[in-house]
Amino acid sequence: MAEELIRLVNMNKGYMLGEERVPVLKNICFTVERGEYVAILGPSGSGKTTLMNVIGCMDVLDSGEYYLDHQAIHSMPQEALTEVRNREIGFIFQNYQLIPTYNVLQNIIMPLIIRGMGHREAEEKCMETIRLLGINHRLEHRPSELSGGQKQRVSIARALVGEPALLLADEPTGALDRSSGKDVLKLFGQLNEMGHTIVMITHDLSVAKSAKRIVSIVDGELSEQPPG
Amino acid sequence: MKLTEILRLVWLNLSQNKSKVVLTSIGILAGSATIMMVLAIGRGGQLEVAEQFKNLNAGAIDIVCDGETEEEGVMAGMMGPPGAGGGPGGGPGNNASQNTLTLSEEDMEDILTFVPGLSDATISFSTKADVDGGYLEETTNYTIAGVMDNYGELSNLELAIGDFLTEENVEGKEKVCVLGYDVAKEIFGSAYDAYDGEVYIDNRRYTVSGIIEEMGTVASGISPDEAIFIPYDTGIKYLTGSEVNPTITVIAEDVDTVKSIIRTIQDMLTEKYPKGKFTLSDAGSKMEAASKSNETLQLLLIAMAAIVFLVGGIGIMNVLFVSVKERTNEIGILKAIGCDRKDVLTEFLLEAACISLVGALLGVAFGLAITPVIESFSVRVELTVQGAVLSLAFGVITGSIFGFYPAYKASRMIPVEALNHE
Repeated sequence: MAEELIRLVNMNKGYMLGEERVPVLKNICFTVERGEYVAILGPSGSGKTTLMNVIGCMDVLDSGEYYLDHQAIHSMPQEALTEVRNREIGFIFQNYQLIPTYNVLQNIIMPLIIRGMGHREAEEKCMETIRLLGINHRLEHRPSELSGGQKQRVSIARALVGEPALLLADEPTGALDRSSGKDVLKLFGQLNEMGHTIVMITHDLSVAKSAKRIVSIVDGELSEQPPG
Repeated sequence: MKLTEILRLVWLNLSQNKSKVVLTSIGILAGSATIMMVLAIGRGGQLEVAEQFKNLNAGAIDIVCDGETEEEGVMAGMMGPPGAGGGPGGGPGNNASQNTLTLSEEDMEDILTFVPGLSDATISFSTKADVDGGYLEETTNYTIAGVMDNYGELSNLELAIGDFLTEENVEGKEKVCVLGYDVAKEIFGSAYDAYDGEVYIDNRRYTVSGIIEEMGTVASGISPDEAIFIPYDTGIKYLTGSEVNPTITVIAEDVDTVKSIIRTIQDMLTEKYPKGKFTLSDAGSKMEAASKSNETLQLLLIAMAAIVFLVGGIGIMNVLFVSVKERTNEIGILKAIGCDRKDVLTEFLLEAACISLVGALLGVAFGLAITPVIESFSVRVELTVQGAVLSLAFGVITGSIFGFYPAYKASRMIPVEALNHE
């Protein structure tokens, strides 16, 4: 029986707009098992980014429960959430979110450095990931010297080096051309085959179809889509 | 995150923004240079005061008679009338007949005998006289000081060569002299050439028995470098006659008793010469006044340095705020991948400290560079290692204090908001 990695129970999240509270996520109940590749599909304003922020421990829920790898995220203080983000989650952003003043290698090893590792040890540890992603010839380059596809590979490498329980991707192909986007999705497939759990947020059905499971979000409510 | 790794990131960020670092640190540069100069000028001032007063003994009290208030001086009291003709100017008895009251050797003896707490006393006068001899091409007017044999010791005079005047010189009214360093150089070319030479003071031949070490400028009394010292009685006999108003200098055994001794002497002299006016001044007060004025100057400069630091600190704060704003996205990324508040705070604080350190180092270098310029304005500058270290420390501390708030703001950023910052 597969092990549960993410479990959201009756989760609600909203924002204050002036004096009025606007609900964004309503009574979300959602589970992801370890090794799954899930796409959360929804149009703009559906609440998918808010859901990603909650799953990524970057935002807190108003009510309900959230368990990640059996840890009760909903009752954790900020400091603990910071550590969870570092150890349990690998983020892949639409616009890559690489630090422009660092070179490729420095960007990739940052999660390990933050974890308290020395840079030499971190560099050794990430070499296999770098080879896997085919960016070993670009290590000294700055992000501004890379193509979109290469930037996203760097971003994926950074997400992978910490060996997180969950890869959380927000519109990973949104800023890429079709060919690069396909490469990234293919890579996601390979990573999932290797055992990585991936949750991908997208508004694009064709992208979502690369996942093994699609969950739709409309007006803050989740609904499972039938496979195929 | 390890501190070494944070420092590595700090270095990475600063090394890519060298011109910004230098421009940001200019305020701290000015502050550090000012602090260094303040300390150096203050120290220079202190040494200047110490040197100017080095011919004074801290316990010394000078007594000068300023004449009489109305009628002639009347002697009274315990000491009785001074012997006629015993001292310079013939003593008060003689002075009374001339209606000019001056002090005498006998007054000095009386003070030394009847005022408790004194260790020594001397009497001296100075006048101007024409001097000839040596390599002088024409007669030159010099300060001639008539002094007792103990004057040299009480005024901390050190001899470059030869001996100071002796008791025999004074008592025998011998025509010997001790030259100040500058005088010896002017008349004979050097101290060594002057020794045992002969000079003519008011057309009388004097043998040079010693030359005083160079003393520099002094703030009070006879300037040793520019004077010719002759025995007191010789001066009275050959130069001034009774037309002299000498100064009695007494030395208090304990510096703390100077004020009460002044009162006692004042009372004694008032009793002895009811119509006499006397000025009593102690070297300690003069030193204190000079030190106070030096301290005031230093405080003024410190206030200036504080203002410069304040402006520099605000400059750093502004630039760091801009930097935090510019790097909001970077902060968001770091926080998203698990960098905690403490690490972000430490990184930005260390950046502020490093920028300040650069400014402070440049400030110290600037201070060293402008020292000759300041000295060219006749200001004494005494640079010290402590001054440099202190200005470095002040620079770094100021920058770090002003850098704290921007760093704190950076550390408190919410990752989602920081990530979405355009």
